[in-house]
Amino acid sequence: MTARNPQTLMALPNEENFDFLFKIVLIGDCGTGKTCIVDRFKTGNYIERHGNTIGVDFSMKTIAVETKQIKLQIWDTAGQERFRTITQSYYRSANGVLIVYDITKRSSFSNLQKWIEEVRRYTASNVLIILIGNKCDMETEREVDFEEARQMCQYIPEILFVMETSAKENMNVEDAFRCLATELKRQHDANNVEAVDENTITLGQGKPLKSCSSSCNLT
Amino acid sequence: MNHVDEIKIDQPALSFEKSPESDEEHRKRLEIEELIAQSEHHNIPLNTLQKLALTPYGLVNDNLRRILWPQLAGVDVNTLERAPTLGELQNHPEYNQVVLDVNRSLKRFPPGIPYEQRIALQDQLTVLILRVIKKYPNLRYYQGYHDVAVTFLLVAGEEVAYAIMEQLSTTHFSECMQETMEATQRRLMFIWPVVNFENPELYQFLQRSTVGTLFALPWYLTWFGHSLNSYKAVVRLYDYFLASKMYTPIFVTAAILLHRSSEIFKEDCDMASVHCLLSRLPEDLPFEDLLQTSSMLYDKYSLTVIEKEVEVLILKEKEQRIAEEKMLLERRKKLTRSASTNRSYSIGHWLPNLLKSRSLLVTTAVSIVVGVCAYYYKNQYLAPGIS
Repeated sequence: MTARNPQTLMALPNEENFDFLFKIVLIGDCGTGKTCIVDRFKTGNYIERHGNTIGVDFSMKTIAVETKQIKLQIWDTAGQERFRTITQSYYRSANGVLIVYDITKRSSFSNLQKWIEEVRRYTASNVLIILIGNKCDMETEREVDFEEARQMCQYIPEILFVMETSAKENMNVEDAFRCLATELKRQHDANNVEAVDENTITLGQGKPLKSCSSSCNLT
Repeated sequence: MNHVDEIKIDQPALSFEKSPESDEEHRKRLEIEELIAQSEHHNIPLNTLQKLALTPYGLVNDNLRRILWPQLAGVDVNTLERAPTLGELQNHPEYNQVVLDVNRSLKRFPPGIPYEQRIALQDQLTVLILRVIKKYPNLRYYQGYHDVAVTFLLVAGEEVAYAIMEQLSTTHFSECMQETMEATQRRLMFIWPVVNFENPELYQFLQRSTVGTLFALPWYLTWFGHSLNSYKAVVRLYDYFLASKMYTPIFVTAAILLHRSSEIFKEDCDMASVHCLLSRLPEDLPFEDLLQTSSMLYDKYSLTVIEKEVEVLILKEKEQRIAEEKMLLERRKKLTRSASTNRSYSIGHWLPNLLKSRSLLVTTAVSIVVGVCAYYYKNQYLAPGIS
């Protein structure tokens, strides 16, 4: 099978060392550890007390899933509500969304509904969402039970799964991205079967509004 | 806060490295010191002071800045109010957000600063910010505001820093402190006409990449304080901005883009690559040159002309967005339709299904034809025979 860009289904040039490219967006309240999660995943390091994110930070990492190289384009957004109108334009072409809450902060869990509304309003209908309860190393300060998060997910069909992570202790961070990447690949493979039969129809999300067609050329 | 001593901060850390004073810096420092000595109550005439801040090396060092920044900002150091305590401000609705950000602003404090001193400064920073937004309830705190405040706090001390922040919040930063960031987003678009006038090719490239203006948002909101890794560069830029008109960071941003044009052209023309390149400021930006370019650009293009261009740009973007949304909707409709017809394909039974439905169609068609023929023959030939 030819590797294709999930956005445009254009065949990717052979010299590129990845088979798939997916865009992932991290959202969630301020201070839930979004940037720490991205840093842990990307560099393997943990940086306590990051500066806050203003607007959007961007990073990339390629991982191998079932012999395929999957490049993840990760957009880490600012949590403050004031920035939301600005970050919304970055959700639109997302393939996957990580919604992060802090298990030691009830309010970040209560706000999940608001974040899910955001995703529903501004992303494509087939976007995959995973829910992440971060800071699970701080068991003594826990305010949200995992069971509670699991139950909530049952009422929100868009959420693929929920997982607790600790960027500090390096727990489940890689897994979260890996599971999402695997699922995105699976979804893409399923779409591709249909694409073979209907050449005239471009599957996936077509051209993202705020992205451009050559997004497969990332190095 | 128990593990404060183990804290690792952002990499790369802000460099507070003191480089030896260059000959030009030395000359400028002597010039400024003499002006201060000559003037009454250390007050240098405003336009002389502004010129000093705008020209190369600005106000040279923090000792001079401590004296001259309040003057530049139009603050009277003799009528300063006493700061309230942190306890008096704890009920403010933004308290938690401000504390969260201040606790994360370690990068902005000099390394090796004693723990108690740093905690005291962080408390002062929180008080300073909350005082401003308490006094002006129409102004909203944004993440990045603390990056501006900490710069003044470290140089000028708590009370002067508050007076400067009060002044700037009602002028330079008032737009950023509105209820939403829409006005700021629009303001950032002022970059484009300036780049277009100066380097149309670069403008076309950046537009084609659809990079947007988000890379410049932290620059604009913090006067580059959030994004630069050199303390010296930060305070130098603050000299410049304090002496400049509002919206000047737009022109510095344009100057940076123009300066980096050859580097930008080498990048792939897509949003992610270009955003990634632009949002990371190189360590070796020639700021003195860039500031001169910025001043030149500011004088060259009127804000009214730029604003008109931006209006056209916004209209164009809106039309494009509507067209794309329409296209997307149509494509989605098509997709749902094809998905429903394709469902049988994916199961893998499409061939027998197709045969089945085709044979059904043929049978029906043949029976109808036979029926019609029979009726016709009956009427034409059989009827007269019977009657």
